[in-house]
Amino acid sequence: MAAIASTNPSQLLPLELVDKCIGSRIHIVMKNDKEIVGTLLGFDDFLFLCVSEITPEGRRITKLDQILLNGNNITMLIPGGEGPEV
Amino acid sequence: MADKEKKKKESIFDLSTYIDKHIRVKFQGGREASGVLKGFDPLLNLVLDGTIEYMRDPDDQYKLTEDTRQLGLVVCRGTSVVLICPQDGMEAIPNPFIQQQDG
Repeated sequence: MAAIASTNPSQLLPLELVDKCIGSRIHIVMKNDKEIVGTLLGFDDFLFLCVSEITPEGRRITKLDQILLNGNNITMLIPGGEGPEV
Repeated sequence: MADKEKKKKESIFDLSTYIDKHIRVKFQGGREASGVLKGFDPLLNLVLDGTIEYMRDPDDQYKLTEDTRQLGLVVCRGTSVVLICPQDGMEAIPNPFIQQQDG
């Protein structure tokens, strides 16, 4: 673990950024063409997300209430994102 | 075996040399993105700033300029990263495999 601590203390850790985003809007891009916009409720080590008010972007827009999103297929997380063409 | 126990989380590639540099990242599923590397962790999750995302389509193949969007500050999931390289680390060269005309 010493190797990790000595990399660069002033850099921004990815999971820290996700943590800051809890409670605010997030835009999640999956490996395929699906995207999800909503409010981030929480996450864990494998990046399971609880998101509320989601609208998967694409051909159809479906509004759902709360979901548990499996982190396996997540490619990018964009804090404060609005989605492609809202 | 004792060696493996000592170096559990040591990365074979030190990304700290790329901090604040423009890099290109390719993902599983064909997405590509480029941005300034702001942070990373041993699992290869990345923080990119000023990110531009490129999408690959059947008719698009390797043309990157079609579907690009500005994403700003993003977190890239390490489990879906397949390649990281410097943004200006690549150049197109003529096909080196064509001249095979040995008698």
